[in-house]
Amino acid sequence: MFRILKKSLKTGIVTGRHPVAPKDEAGVSPTASLKAKPFRRSLTIREVDTGSCNACEMEMNALMNPIYDAERFGIHIAASPRHADALVVTGPVTVNMEKALKDAYRSTPDPKLVIALGDCACDCGMFKGSYAVTGPVERHVPVDVKVRGCPPRPAEILHALQRLQGQSD
Amino acid sequence: MTDVIEKLRAAFGQTIADATIHHGIPLLRVGKAEVPLVAHYIHTHPDLQGTLSLLWAVDHRPREQRYELWYLFTLADPRAWLLLTTDLLNEERLFPSITPHIHAAKWYEREIRDMFGLIAQGHPDLRRLVRHEHWPKGTHPLKKEFPWNTVMGQQQGQYAFRRIEGEGVFEIPVGPIHAGIIEPGHFRFSVAGEPVLQLEIRHFWKHRGVEKLFENLSLHAGVSLAERVSGDTSFGHSLCYCQTIEMLLGITVPRRAGYLRALFLELERLHNHLGDVGAICNDTAYALAHAHGSRLKEQMMQLNDRLTGSRFLRDVNRVGGTAVDLDTAQLDQVVAELDRIERDFSELESIIFANASLADRLETTGVLDERTAIDHGVMGVVGRASNIDRDVRRDRPFAAYDELPVNVARYRYGDVRARMRVRMDEIHESIRLIRDVRTRIPQGPVLAAPARVPAAGEWALSAVEGWRGEILYFVMAGPDGTIHRCKVRDPSFVNWPAIQFAVLGNIIPDFPLINKSFNLSYAGNDL
Repeated sequence: MFRILKKSLKTGIVTGRHPVAPKDEAGVSPTASLKAKPFRRSLTIREVDTGSCNACEMEMNALMNPIYDAERFGIHIAASPRHADALVVTGPVTVNMEKALKDAYRSTPDPKLVIALGDCACDCGMFKGSYAVTGPVERHVPVDVKVRGCPPRPAEILHALQRLQGQSD
Repeated sequence: MTDVIEKLRAAFGQTIADATIHHGIPLLRVGKAEVPLVAHYIHTHPDLQGTLSLLWAVDHRPREQRYELWYLFTLADPRAWLLLTTDLLNEERLFPSITPHIHAAKWYEREIRDMFGLIAQGHPDLRRLVRHEHWPKGTHPLKKEFPWNTVMGQQQGQYAFRRIEGEGVFEIPVGPIHAGIIEPGHFRFSVAGEPVLQLEIRHFWKHRGVEKLFENLSLHAGVSLAERVSGDTSFGHSLCYCQTIEMLLGITVPRRAGYLRALFLELERLHNHLGDVGAICNDTAYALAHAHGSRLKEQMMQLNDRLTGSRFLRDVNRVGGTAVDLDTAQLDQVVAELDRIERDFSELESIIFANASLADRLETTGVLDERTAIDHGVMGVVGRASNIDRDVRRDRPFAAYDELPVNVARYRYGDVRARMRVRMDEIHESIRLIRDVRTRIPQGPVLAAPARVPAAGEWALSAVEGWRGEILYFVMAGPDGTIHRCKVRDPSFVNWPAIQFAVLGNIIPDFPLINKSFNLSYAGNDL
């Protein structure tokens, strides 16, 4: 017990100890901001991996660690698309995942947002044209926001989400 | 090496059509009908005890009208490689399966059937593996006549899961999209009450055609694709790819680059292991350890970012060395940061070990016994937790590991706790290795130029101990510096089937915990 307390006191508050994201990146259109209006205070995300190399997943996971702590901005991760306000889709959409992506999209209640995360989701990246890839994401479901990068840094993802929520400049 | 060849020659005589040594690896050529016999001998002979490390096919057309099958064995002592190869000439599509004797070949032979249309006769399970049911009949992407950018049609079909029937037995399908931020895969449990009677894993949802895409690239350009085979192992994969190409191009990597590669490989191991220790605790609902673990992982990734400009150590490896050099100040900074992290982590360890209810969840959960692990050729962290004493860094030193002796962590019980303990020990060992790198690293260049251009048909094979385990790359050169065939093997491909055995008899709520303790890559498995 004392060991745990001592550790917590020694560690202190680490939230926010990360390099800031460059402010210039666009990606959030006025239409998307308008669509995101109901989610200004609380945005629940379902992450759907449609064939990424798992680097984007690692950065999404990092978003939930004590350093980025996305929960403090009302961003939550849901276990089911039925509980989600937004789908975050990573990867170039493989032939095997195409149906699963469409199912997840249909299962998400309206109004909903789709965020394409990473270069693969935006334009298939290195996997463009492969026989096993049918993407990008916007070919299958309407995409509201694109966050580029291979993978985008957690600070950049957080910044994009906050802009979407209208919490940032 | 020659005595292995002599031994096999004595046992099989004229059956072995040809025996050579290539890049230090004995290579035996036999007729396809004799493969199961010779493979069985290598696998079971007490002096050899070869485990199947890799099995792959090469389509030699249009240059020659033949397919070639390659079997790579790792012998028990010393841990030398042995290659067995056979030809399928002209219109031959059948080859005898070795799976009835060697379990480890099971997925490989199914994969070869899907990718090349070559059928393993006598294989106990010839369902599709990579190709899901909606892929049209006759689609075999790695055949040379199959264009890489084919737009595939669709057909109807259903995968036949193995079923267990009886009173009170029911099935739980999970996936491909499952809870949490995790990659897609399908798990089909058959349970009676809580305990799992059977688990069947259905993967390859993420198949992106990586091996076919390699064939479009030049030898030098493949590095960035290798970095994207499995993002969390970006450096391990790119290092293994670079080593293979360097063998083909006759490059001797400068010593300093070798040391830097060892350093970055250990950094990659560190951030993944630190995250995993926390994540294993998280799956027992112990959020505090998870918070600390993910904090330490994030600190490591920020360190990567400061050193190389990439949190995943991407764009660091080049064919011939590294693109990044670190000066003395940076190396001191790394060691100072790691000193802090090791102190921090040791405190976390003592908190974890002091928690009795956590130990209760971890001990005896998800036991993978040594026999099963050997039979399936399980490797890496998972293997070392089941008493398999293998580590490429020690057994077949690459980069600068010939001057950096590694103490291999090993536990006997094969449960979740053993897998966590292996990770904890390796964290300390990696930090020690990085301190060693700091004191021993020589001055000099970090990038060397190619010495030669490989002729079409030349090949090389190389292994790297990534943080999950042994990564293998086989590259055969095409004409004019192109890639004819690139076989990629992430340790996940071998370790996934072993989970099906580790969960037997465990309760369903422990599955996420067991899965996390293996922590395998879906992307590296599906390619």
